[in-house]
Amino acid sequence: MQRRDSQHGPAMQASTVIETSALCKIYGKQRALDGVNLKVERGAIGLLGPNGAGKSTLMKCLLQLHPITSGSARLLGREVGAEGREIRKRVGYTPEQDCHIPGMVGCEYVTYCAQLCGLPFQAARQRAHEMLDFVGMGQERYRKIDTYSTGMKQRLKLAQAIVHDPEIVFLDEPTNGLDPKGQAQILELIHSLWRTYGITVVVSSHLLHDVDRICEQIIIIARGQVLVHDTLANLKARRRGAAEVVLAERQRELMDACAQRQWPSDLLPNGHVRVEHRADSLNPLLGLLNERKLEPLEIIPSPNALEETFVRALEISHAAA
Amino acid sequence: MPLHDISYQHWDGEHLGVWRRRWVIAWNGLTGCLQNRWLQYLVVLCWVAGLSLAAVLFAIGQLLVPDSIIVTWLGNLNPNLRSFAALLTSWLESHPQLSVGTTQNVLFFYSGVYILLRPAIFALGMALPHLVTRDLASNAIIVYSSKAVTRGDYLFGKFATAAGLVLLTWVGPMCAAWFLGNFLAPDWGFFWHARAALLHVLLFGIAATCILSALALGVSAISPKEKSTTALWFTWWVVGGFVALVAMQTRPWLQHLSFNYNLYQIGLAVFRPGGDLNSVQDNIPVFGEMLHNVPTRTLDALNNPPVWSSVGFLLLMLAAAAAIIRKRVKPE
Repeated sequence: MQRRDSQHGPAMQASTVIETSALCKIYGKQRALDGVNLKVERGAIGLLGPNGAGKSTLMKCLLQLHPITSGSARLLGREVGAEGREIRKRVGYTPEQDCHIPGMVGCEYVTYCAQLCGLPFQAARQRAHEMLDFVGMGQERYRKIDTYSTGMKQRLKLAQAIVHDPEIVFLDEPTNGLDPKGQAQILELIHSLWRTYGITVVVSSHLLHDVDRICEQIIIIARGQVLVHDTLANLKARRRGAAEVVLAERQRELMDACAQRQWPSDLLPNGHVRVEHRADSLNPLLGLLNERKLEPLEIIPSPNALEETFVRALEISHAAA
Repeated sequence: MPLHDISYQHWDGEHLGVWRRRWVIAWNGLTGCLQNRWLQYLVVLCWVAGLSLAAVLFAIGQLLVPDSIIVTWLGNLNPNLRSFAALLTSWLESHPQLSVGTTQNVLFFYSGVYILLRPAIFALGMALPHLVTRDLASNAIIVYSSKAVTRGDYLFGKFATAAGLVLLTWVGPMCAAWFLGNFLAPDWGFFWHARAALLHVLLFGIAATCILSALALGVSAISPKEKSTTALWFTWWVVGGFVALVAMQTRPWLQHLSFNYNLYQIGLAVFRPGGDLNSVQDNIPVFGEMLHNVPTRTLDALNNPPVWSSVGFLLLMLAAAAAIIRKRVKPE
C-alpha cells in the first residue's frame, strides 16, 4: 500500500498542515484559546492537555465547527473560515461524543458519510465496507448503531472519519470508554494511518500514555495556551540531571557524599533521596554509589520534559479551577 | 480471516458536486421518514384520494358527452336523467370553458386545498423528528458539520425532505388526478379547458410546499425531544384552526395565527372560486338562481380573501422559523 505523499500532487506535499497566528476563541467571559501560535508539520501529532485545556476547541476552530474570535488559521494551506467545504473535503474528524444518526445501520451510516463528502454511491458503499474491514468491524456493521457497544461506536467513528480518504484526521479522545485491549487496537490503527498510509493524524487526549505511544510531535495545551510544541524524541531527550535514590538505610551518608561533590540533595518525605547530579546520564551517580558501597533498592531518573510539562499543565489547570 | 485485502486503500476518484450532496441529505431524510409504517399508509391514502378525484373527473367528463357510457347507463336507469345529461351536454357545447375549466378548478380547490392538504400537514407532523430534531438529539449535526457540506447545504437537504413529503402526499396526487382525469375524458380538449386548474394546483402547491416545509423545519429545530416538536406542530395546527374558527366573528386578526387558515386564504386568491361562481351565475341561469341562495357574506369571503394580511402573517411565521433554525442548528 502506498503512502499518500508518494501519489499526490505538490499541494498535498506541502509539509505544513496547520498554521495559526494569535488564534483566540472566547465563550462569554472564558478564553478557551488565548493567542495560539502554531506551525505544525505533517505526521502523527498529539494534542495533550488536561480536561478543559482547549484541545477540542482548537480542533473545532480548525474544522470551522466554531467560529474563530480573533487571529487566523490555515489548514492544509487554506484559510479557515473562508473555504469550509473545500477544507472539510480533505479532513476527517471523530468527535469525542457519540454522534451517529439514529435508526441507521453501521454500513449505511458510513456510506452516507462518504456520500456527504462527495463520493458517488457505488464508491461510497465500497469504501464504507473497506473502512469497516480496516477498523475491524465484522457482521456488526449490519446492525443498528443504537445497539453498538462503546468500542464498536469508536471504531465506527474512525471509519466515518477516514471513509473519504482525508489528508488529515482529527481524533478527539479516540480511546474514551474503551477497555485496555480495545485501546491498544484503536491506537495501533491510528498509528498505522500515518506510519503506513501517510495520513496526518491529530490526536487529542488527556492521557499521556496514548499520545506517547503513537505520536511523533507533541503539542501541550493548558488554559488555552500552547505550553510546548516539539517532537516526542526531543522532549524525551530533555531531562534535568536529577534522580531519586531509594535506600533502605544510610540516606544521610549519601547526602553527605553528594554535598562533597556539591550536588544538591534532599531527603523526601517518603524516605527517598533526591539528588541533582547535573549530568545527562546516571553514570556519575552510579559511580558515587559504587564508591561508597551504597546499595540502592531503586533509582528513579527525573521525569523527562514531556512528563514535566504535562504535569505543569495539570498544575496550571488545577490552579485555575 | 478475511479473504480480501483489509488494508487501507486510498481513493482518487472525482468528487460529486454540492447539489448531489444536498440531494443525498434530502433522499436520506425522505427514505428515513418513509420507514414509518403509518406514514406509508398515509401516503397510500393520499394517492387513493388522488385516484378517487381522477375517477370523479372521469365521471364528470362522461356526463358532459352525448352517448357516453355513463349517460347511456343513466338513461337506461331513468329517462329523466338522460334529459339532465342532455342539458349538461348542451352546456358543454355552449360553455366549454365553464363546464370543464370552472368545474375542475372549483373541484380542485375544495378537494385539494380544503380537504386533501390536511393529510399532507399530518404527514409533516409525523416526519418532523426526521428533519432536525433527531440530529440535535444525537449530535449528528456535528457529523454533518464536519463533512464537506455547510449548514446551508444541510438545511437545504432537510427542507427538501419536507418538501418531498408534501409533494408526495399533496402535489403529486393532485397533479396525477388532473392528468388521469383529463386523459380518461372523452375529448382531448379537456386538457386545454382545464389548464387553469393545473396551473392553480402547481402555483398553490409550490407556495404551500415551501411555506409548510420551512415552518416544519423551524418547529423541528425547537427542541431535541421528538415528542415535544411533534406535539407542538399538531397543537399549533389543531388549536390554530380552532382559534380561527372561534375568532371569525369577534377578533378576525386572530385567525391569522393559524398557518392553515392563512394557506386557505392564499388558496382562495390563487384558485379564485368566487370568480368562477360569478361566471356561472352570469352565464347559466339555472345555476344563477341556485347561487342566489348563497349568503352574500360567503360570496364576499370567496371573492375578497384577506390575502395580504395572510401573506404578512405567514412571513412573520417564516421569520420566526428562520430565527429558531439560526439559533438552534449549530454543531453544539
